[in-house]
Amino acid sequence: MRTRRALAILAITAAMAATGACTATGSSGGGNAGGGSKVTLSVWSWRPEDASTYKKIFDKFHAAHPNITVDFKPYKSTEYNTILSTGLTQAGGPDVAQLRSYGGLQPLIEAGNLVPLDGKVAGLSNFETTALDGTRGKKDGKVYGVPLEMSTFQIYYNKDIFSKYSLQPPTTWDQLISDSQALLSHGITPFAAAGKDTWLLPLYDDAFAATRYGGTAFEKKVLAGQAKFTDPDYVAALNVLNQLKPYFPKDQMGLAETDVQTLFATGKAAMIPEGSFALAPMKAINANLNLGVFNAPPAPGALVNNPLEVGWVDASYGLNAKSTHQKEALELLQWMTTADFGHMVADDLKQVSLVKGVQSADPLLSQMVQDYTQSPTPYLMLVDFRYGTPLGSDLQAAGLQKMLLGQQSAAQVAGDIQNGIAQWFKP
Amino acid sequence: MRWRTAVYFLVPAFLLYTLFVVYPLLSALADSFWRWEGTARGGFAGLANFTGLFTTFPLNHQLWPAFWHTVVFFIGTMVVQNTFGLLVAVVLTELRFGRRFFQTVYTLPYLVGGLVVGYLWSLLLSPSFGPVNAALRAVGLGSFAKPWLGDPSTALPVVILVNAWQYVGFPILLFGAALAGLPSEYAEASRVDGANAWQRFFRVTLPLLLPSIGVVSILTFIGCFNTFELVYSLEGAQGNQPTGPGGATDVLGLIFYRVAFQEGGADAIGQSSALAVLLFLFIFGIAVLANRIVRRREAELT
Repeated sequence: MRTRRALAILAITAAMAATGACTATGSSGGGNAGGGSKVTLSVWSWRPEDASTYKKIFDKFHAAHPNITVDFKPYKSTEYNTILSTGLTQAGGPDVAQLRSYGGLQPLIEAGNLVPLDGKVAGLSNFETTALDGTRGKKDGKVYGVPLEMSTFQIYYNKDIFSKYSLQPPTTWDQLISDSQALLSHGITPFAAAGKDTWLLPLYDDAFAATRYGGTAFEKKVLAGQAKFTDPDYVAALNVLNQLKPYFPKDQMGLAETDVQTLFATGKAAMIPEGSFALAPMKAINANLNLGVFNAPPAPGALVNNPLEVGWVDASYGLNAKSTHQKEALELLQWMTTADFGHMVADDLKQVSLVKGVQSADPLLSQMVQDYTQSPTPYLMLVDFRYGTPLGSDLQAAGLQKMLLGQQSAAQVAGDIQNGIAQWFKP
Repeated sequence: MRWRTAVYFLVPAFLLYTLFVVYPLLSALADSFWRWEGTARGGFAGLANFTGLFTTFPLNHQLWPAFWHTVVFFIGTMVVQNTFGLLVAVVLTELRFGRRFFQTVYTLPYLVGGLVVGYLWSLLLSPSFGPVNAALRAVGLGSFAKPWLGDPSTALPVVILVNAWQYVGFPILLFGAALAGLPSEYAEASRVDGANAWQRFFRVTLPLLLPSIGVVSILTFIGCFNTFELVYSLEGAQGNQPTGPGGATDVLGLIFYRVAFQEGGADAIGQSSALAVLLFLFIFGIAVLANRIVRRREAELT
């Protein structure tokens, strides 16, 4: 294994050296022509699948800024973190880079690899504070990225199945249960919920039970040290998934995310808790899928009396501190805060843009955004508890799986979460 | 002159071995005694990385279950290989036609990578779309259809069987060669003495095969304690959570992977090196010991 790591580093270094050579020749081409010189900005991303779309997008930027050319370089998502952290510390790295959010971004900030953007990019005012929180340094509170897109998590339902059995998307918890029972009696799985891809389990709990523990209000309290995960309300929220277990697939723990997407898309299940990012893959399985979305009605004993939509910032673009084209890179970042760019993110990249006032052309996506703006709740473990190891999301995921298998009670799960997080989290 | 030729032949292998085996081993040993901040080395840590493995939550709760799963994984695989593998080898030596063909068939999965095997079996065993459950339902055994990889009681046995399925070709070849190498005089002599087939096998052939059984067991031990890719592709690995339903198939190789590459935190290099060192010492020690015992038995036979 050690050898493999050494080889990987060797390979990456070699790749770095190669890109370094390219960037160097690219920018030296017009570098000495003076004020109006031509500059090539290298932009890194973890979305190879978007490369052709980005080319179109950056062509528009080039039309408005003829002296700046953007060289878009995507890397494989699973290798991106390593490549980026190496690239930012050496010559030949990117000028502008796509960045992870919240905890995933902190190592780069703490290593001083990124330039804080407050006061440098005027367009940051086009974003809500919650959107900027995803790109903030935990220690200095400064903004290090222009938010690109967010994800939301909600429940999709199959409109055809619902109308076939004359069911309505539930507005009360009792209705959610009676809908589920009706579907079960017709031999249809109510919720296509996966258990093998455990990272989904904390999201399920937020989607079904954030109302029970209080959503944003609980987040504030737990961050201030006034609440713990062992508090009865949070334990009860974990237990909500136990109450829904009869309506999950019998083989839940053997099902991966793609399995449950297929179950839902082929009409074997009537509802699925999934992210905004799952819309395209599910449509790919069955293009005729007639979809609607809703958020779970408040669970019994809920502290919040209206449905909440889970959401979090997924990606942003930031500025390499070592970039030799700071001025031009800031121009690009400023452009990324405009409604023009936001519309391209929504309509071309098919993501939820965070620029204020930008609506998606897709009615489902635009409903998700609307719901989130009206009654948001955080993906608690990602947003606040991935700043140290063990990660909160891992503790909750492993615990919820054991709870659904009947190996642990909700209280034990809560105890493990509190125990693990307390090792590094100080209110 | 001859001596120099020998050196020429040895040097490439020696250099490669040093570069890719000896050097990484020693550097892992060195790394395990230091503190790490990402890829930057901090101060001397002494044994802190080692004790950390047994005291940091949730690692301390994962290590021992993973150790025992690995032990069970080894014993299960070994039992299948030394019984079913031996049986097939014996049957194949008696076979007049098609021996080559069956040898090839049994050895094929061994030539495919563990990741591929794992992926194929995870498709076959998929609870809702997999052919295994579909076949069970088709013959009226629907009540036996299970989420094989998602049920804590079946997950580890299924992983063991897939592993044995993949590697059974190796003992079949090895036992086949050993059986072919047995002088036919022993069998003939015992037949003259009136021994039946069972007696011939258990009193004559089996004792003569003990060295081969020893070798298969030792190699299985080394392979099983280093196992990673099969369990990884069957059950996945996420963050620093134990693998499998309720952690039922978590093995030491996966813990190493998680600590080193997933969510080990700033000290990932130090802690994973410490785990690697412990694993190496354990496997090396047991393998040397077992090898010595097998050698002694071998000496007694001759």
